[in-house]
Amino acid sequence: MAIADNTLGVTAQQAGLARCDYCGALHRLPAAEDCRLCGAYVSGRKRNSLQRTWAFLIVGVMAYIPANLYPIMITKSFSGNTSDTILSGVIALAQSGSMFVAIVVFVASVVIPVAKFVIIVGLALSLHFRWNMSEHTRHVLHTITEFIGRWSMIDVFVVAVLAALIQLGAILTIEPGAGINAFALSVVFTMFSATSLDPRLIWDGVEHGE
Amino acid sequence: MKTNSSRKVSFDDLIACASCDWLHYRTIIERGSRASCARCGHELYTRKPFSIDRTLAASIAGVVFLLLSLFLPFLSLARGGISSSISVLDAVGALWFSDMRWLGLMSLGMIAFIPMMRLCLLVWVMFRLRYRLGIIPSMRTAMRWAERLEPWAMAEIFMVGVVVSLVKISDLATLTVGPAFWALLGLIITTSFISIFYCKDSVWQLLTTHSA
Repeated sequence: MAIADNTLGVTAQQAGLARCDYCGALHRLPAAEDCRLCGAYVSGRKRNSLQRTWAFLIVGVMAYIPANLYPIMITKSFSGNTSDTILSGVIALAQSGSMFVAIVVFVASVVIPVAKFVIIVGLALSLHFRWNMSEHTRHVLHTITEFIGRWSMIDVFVVAVLAALIQLGAILTIEPGAGINAFALSVVFTMFSATSLDPRLIWDGVEHGE
Repeated sequence: MKTNSSRKVSFDDLIACASCDWLHYRTIIERGSRASCARCGHELYTRKPFSIDRTLAASIAGVVFLLLSLFLPFLSLARGGISSSISVLDAVGALWFSDMRWLGLMSLGMIAFIPMMRLCLLVWVMFRLRYRLGIIPSMRTAMRWAERLEPWAMAEIFMVGVVVSLVKISDLATLTVGPAFWALLGLIITTSFISIFYCKDSVWQLLTTHSA
C-alpha cells in the first residue's frame, strides 16, 4: 500500500474544483452541471446532505417502532396461531438451542439498526455543532454505517423463505406479518440516510480552526 | 512526476479523494499496488493485473450462477407425507401473494433484478473494453448504474437469511437443499471476485480518455 505523498495540500473545493462522484473527473466550480465525461450530476458536495440525512433517518426510526410492535411472522397450525415479533423470534431461537443463529438475527435486526440510528445522529449532530471530535474516528464510523446497513435485511428474507416454504395446509402454515413491512421500510430508509451523509463534510470542518 | 509548478496542470493529472476531497497529483504506481489518500487513507486508485479479463470472466460466471439460482429448486421440505419445494422466485411470490406487493417487488429487485442488471452491464462494458470494440457514451452510463446499484444487490444477505430459516425449522420437518442453493453460493463467491478484480479508476480512465 503506497500512501500518495504528492498532495496539493488543499481540497478540490478549495482549489475551485468539484469531483464527479462516479468517474472522478474534476470540474470547475460552481459546478451544478452534468459531468462532461460520464453525464452524472456534479455538485462538489451532495446537495442538502444533512437535511436529507435527517429526513430519511426520522422515517427510518419511525418505521422501526411498528416493526418491533407488530408481528413479523404468523404461524398457523391445528394447535392454534402464534405470532412472532422480531424479539420473540430471537428468544425462540435461543431457547431452541441455536444460540449462534439467535445472535446473528439479534445483531442484524436489533443491534445494527439501533447502532446505525445512534451513529448517524451522532455524526449529523457533530457536523451541526462542529464538535471537536477526531475526523478519523468519524470517517471510520461513516464507513461502517454505509457497510453494515444492508445486512439488516436478513430478517425480511427469513420471513419470505419461511412463508414460501411452510405451506402445508392445515398442518402448518407461515404467513408474513405487518411488522416485516415496517422493518423493511426502516432498513431501506436508513440506507438512504447513510448514503445522503456526505463524508467530505466531516473533513470540511478541519480548516476552520481546531 | 508532474509536480513542476511552472507547468500548467491539466485536470486529468489530478485526482480528488472520494471520501475527503483532498487533492493529489496522479503518479504512476506499481502493478498490483494501490494509492491511498494522504489525509484520510481512503483508496484513490489501484492498478490490478488483468483487471478487465478477470472482471469479465467473473461477471459471466455470475450471470450463469444467478440464472441457475433463480429457476432451479432451492429448498425442499418433507413432513408427514407432504412435501414442498421452492425456488427463489417462490420466496418472493410468497410475499406478493400475502398482500405484501411492494415488499415482494423490492425483494425481487434485490435478489434477482438488480444483481442481474448489474452483472449484465459489467459483462457488456468489460467485453467491449476487452475486445477493443470502441468506447461509446452509453458505456459510461452503464458503469455509472453498475456502481449505483451495487449496495442494493443483496444475494449474499438472502443466503444468510436462508441459512437462518433452515435452522429455525430444522426440528419441524426434514429439509434438503437443492441445486439453486449451491448456485447462489457460487454467485456470492463470484461477486466477491468481481470486487477483488474490478479496478474502478482504471476502467473510468479507459472510458474517459479515449473520447472527449
